[in-house]
Amino acid sequence: MSDVAFVVPVYNEASVIGDVITEIRAVTPYVVCVNDGSRDGSAAAIVRAGGYLVDHPINMGQGAALQTGIEFARALPQIQRFVTFDADGQHLVADAVRMLKLLEEGDLDIVLGSRFLGEVIGAGRSKRVLLKAAVKFSNVTSGIRLTDAHNGLRAFNRHVAETMEITAPDMTHASEIIELIAANSYRYREMPVTIRYTDYSTSKGQASVNAVNIAVDTLLRRVTRQ
Amino acid sequence: MIIVQFLLIGAFLFLFYVAIRSRTAHGVSASKKLLFLLLMAVLVVAVLAPNLVTEAANLVGVGRGTDLVLYLMAVSFGFYVVNDYLRGQDNRQQLHRLARRIAVLEALERYHIAHRDETDPGPAPSDD
Repeated sequence: MSDVAFVVPVYNEASVIGDVITEIRAVTPYVVCVNDGSRDGSAAAIVRAGGYLVDHPINMGQGAALQTGIEFARALPQIQRFVTFDADGQHLVADAVRMLKLLEEGDLDIVLGSRFLGEVIGAGRSKRVLLKAAVKFSNVTSGIRLTDAHNGLRAFNRHVAETMEITAPDMTHASEIIELIAANSYRYREMPVTIRYTDYSTSKGQASVNAVNIAVDTLLRRVTRQ
Repeated sequence: MIIVQFLLIGAFLFLFYVAIRSRTAHGVSASKKLLFLLLMAVLVVAVLAPNLVTEAANLVGVGRGTDLVLYLMAVSFGFYVVNDYLRGQDNRQQLHRLARRIAVLEALERYHIAHRDETDPGPAPSDD
């Protein structure tokens, strides 16, 4: 799949990013890793594992890193399809490959991974409840019906990559992407994916309190955008 | 003039001087400067003639002048916070665009990827 680029935002993931890159490189050489001002050896680990290193001079947040990775990847003329992928090893490359297939066969612009159509391994009960609530909130504010609002695994075509403009720097970007789907009328579909909640990914993931931040930011965006 | 009046008016005048003199104030809109001038003037009057403030308060149905000042302060603080927040967001977005451009250009160069700047009009047409 030499027309596919994986975009992986990286922030202090030196211990796992190498393995993630190796897994992805089994399907495509284009692993675009945006090092978002990590203070550990992430940049060196990316280069060692053979990923494309795009280095933020300062820490700007995961949403900003995604946008940077997409802008780099769309500068590569051979890239026609794009995948966003988390650096902590919670996503499966096989899921991404299935999503890319659906993207082609379903004549879609974007395919979104969903934990709730798929399998959730190792998530606590409170985390499930919170994620469901986030989905309800997102469905109401964006007008797009989804079963999982904050899944980092997405596959999309060049049209989406070229029109994507994520301005939310932090975790709010997931909601913003859904709003962009509505605003730009992308043809979208969800696909069940498996999330590996390992001890590592759980400790690196966002704290549940952050849901409040995301909700407030989403509402503010609606108010301040005309 | 009692000491506190002297100190307060001195502080207001100093603030006004700093705001007007500041080199970065050129970018601030004239209406905001005028508003600030007005605010300082009102504060000076309020310090010199507290009974005027009480009269103004009674006019709008507030009992004490200090209460009126408090309410106005609360409102201006609210405006300040919102204004500051929005400006912060703008600044952050500009900074992020700049940093992103640097990161992308640097990476394209590192991997020797030919790229065309979106603002680049392209090579000039040759004569031959």
